[in-house]
Order: sequence, then structure tokens, then C-alpha cells
Amino acid sequence: MSYPLDTGQDCLRAWEAMPWVLQESATQEQREWLDRHLVHCGSCRAEWEQQQRLRLALSLPTELPIDAHAGLKRLMERIDAPEREQAPRRLRSGGWLTRGLVAAVLVQAIAIGALGLKFRTAGQAPAYQTLSQASAPVAPGSIRVVPDARMSLTDWNALLHTLRLQVVGGPNDVGAYTLAPASPAVTTQQALQQLRAARGIRLAEPVAGTP
Amino acid sequence: MNEATPDADATDRMLLQRMSAGDRVALATLYHGYHGRLCRFLSRLTRRTDVIEEVVNDCFWIVWQKAGEFRGDSRVSTWIMGIAYRCGLKTLRLHGDEPVEDDAIPEDRIPSTDPDEDRLLRDWLAKGLDRLSADQRVVVELVYGVGHSLDDVATMMQCPVGTVKARLFHARVKLRNVLPSLAGESPVMKESVS
Repeated sequence: MSYPLDTGQDCLRAWEAMPWVLQESATQEQREWLDRHLVHCGSCRAEWEQQQRLRLALSLPTELPIDAHAGLKRLMERIDAPEREQAPRRLRSGGWLTRGLVAAVLVQAIAIGALGLKFRTAGQAPAYQTLSQASAPVAPGSIRVVPDARMSLTDWNALLHTLRLQVVGGPNDVGAYTLAPASPAVTTQQALQQLRAARGIRLAEPVAGTP
Repeated sequence: MNEATPDADATDRMLLQRMSAGDRVALATLYHGYHGRLCRFLSRLTRRTDVIEEVVNDCFWIVWQKAGEFRGDSRVSTWIMGIAYRCGLKTLRLHGDEPVEDDAIPEDRIPSTDPDEDRLLRDWLAKGLDRLSADQRVVVELVYGVGHSLDDVATMMQCPVGTVKARLFHARVKLRNVLPSLAGESPVMKESVS
């Protein structure tokens, strides 16, 4: 891009200085330099005259008939009734956005309602149990046992047979079984002692003793 | 010609301070002080009087609400003109408008008392400005019409000073080549922008 003046650096400098000299924001030195340049440069003089005319034209008041008093009155009314005035303005300016947000909220509300209805109709028991809730009924004298993972099924069965115990529950998530005496002659205390002494049993505790 | 002299700025700051305390007389004073230059400035963006009125009031609505938040980083006039510029662009976008041409103004709405010389000057200017983009017109108005510096204009238009400088340069090149012929003269020089 080149400058519109092809008569040298002085004309370029004059071109750049003109708006600010017109504005009276140029330095005294710039003004004096421009005056001197214009004396002997016809093309810059013509440009300067046009710039002055441009400034004059731009400083004319607008010919558009706009009543300041009426405008101020409307502004005051708007200030006096900000809510009434601003609400529709905001809706107008954000029409699509507002409608989109409203639609999204409606869809969410419907989805939440449907989800609630599903849970209500399913009647499922919660997947958790609180400490205050009663446990599932367990036979009296039951023992909770955790066998070693390496214990074979044969050894496990043999142990149960020897101690005259039977599995009444489990294994649960941690691999614990609930055992109960298979014969009334077996006491819990005795079975516990034997289980704790047996190889391959990692834990044996009476269910009733659970806090 | 600068409408934002230090004295004027001090007065404007005082008015803003009073407005922040809810003083409506101060608002009215500031409104009347800026109405003319805002209308002229906005007329470079659009010729629709209803849009200009709307933008002026949108601008002053913001000025009224934010008067207490004015930090004084710039002159009050720079702040207000910047708000008007952004309100103007927003409103034009909402109206889906490009700047409206002169022929949209009913002839009978132009005051008949307008002196012939002024009328000729306005016609000459309007035809020249027609050759410019909206951004170039705004820069020309702010520099020549209002008397703002490049830094001020960059603040108002929220763009780098270099961008303002380039817009002003291109606007001047275009005007240089069309204004003489519009005035019945031959152009002083050929444009040599490549």
C-alpha cells in the first residue's frame, strides 16, 4: 500500500498532520511546519482546503429532526417504570435465547416428572440399609463365616459335615456365608470354637453378636 | 472544535457524580449537552430517526445506571460515545439494518430554513460518506466531527489504534478522490493505493 501523495516525504508528513492541526491538537511546531509546507506545495494546499471543508461539513448539526425534549421525556418515563419498560425490551432483544431456555426448562421438568413416576410405580426397595433398619431375619444361633479363597469345595463341605452345620445364606459381596446348626445338638459356641480352630477359615462370628 | 475539552470533561464528571446520587437535573443537563453530537454521530450509522432516538435513549439509560461506576480511565465524552457506538451497532443488528440511505428521509422532514450553503455542504458530504464503510464513516465523524484522538476512537470502538489509523487513512483516500468531483472540481491527485 502506498500513500495517495507521490510528491515525497514532506507531503506524506503534511497528510498525516492535517487532521490533528484541524483539531487543534497538533503541536505548535507541527502547525508551523504545515503552514510553511503549504506555502510552496499546491497539491497539499488543495488537500488542506478540502480537509477544512470536510471538517466544516462534519461539524454541521444533523438535519434529521430529532426532538431532544421529547427524547428526554421518554427516557424519564423509562427510568420511572424500569420493570414495566425493561421486561419486554429484554424479551425482544433475547427472543430466541429466552424461548430456547424456556423450552429447555420445560423438557427438564417433564423428564424429572417421568423419572419420579417410574420410581414410584416400580416400588423397588432401596439398595441400601440403614443402621436403624431391622436386618433380614436370620435363624437363631447363626454364624457368619469367611472361608479362605484357596479353600477347596471338598474341604468346605467336609468341614460343614463334620461340624454339622449348613449354609443358610451367602456368599455375600465379601464372600461371607451364614451358617446355622443342622442339628439341635450343636451349640453355637461349640461350633464357633471349632470353626475358628479349623484350617481355611479366616473369620467366624456369631450373627447375634454383630453390633 | 474539540467538543471534549478539559473544562467540559470536568463538568461532565461532576454531572455524572450527581447522577450517581439520583440527580435527574444533572441527567437532563448531560442529555441535552450530548444529544446533538450523539444524533449527528449516529446519523453516520443510520439515517432512521426512530433508530437514532432509540439508541440515544438506550445509551443514556446505561449512562444513568452506570454513572456511579465510571472509573475515569477516559474522558466522559469518550465513555459516552463508546456506549452510543455499541448501542448503535446492537440496535442495527436487531433491526437487521445496514445504514439506511438518504432517500429514506422524507423530503418534507428536512427543515426548509436550512441555508443553501449548508444544504450544499451536507449533500456534498453525504455523497462522499456514501463511498465509505460504516466503520470508516464513524472514524471520520469522531476525528473530524467530534475531535477525538486516535486513542480515544480506539477506546470507543474497542479495537487497536492501528485499526483506527488504517480506517481513517482509507477513508481519506476515498474522500480525496471523490469529493472534488462531487464539488464540480477535478480530483487533485490520482489514488495510488495498491
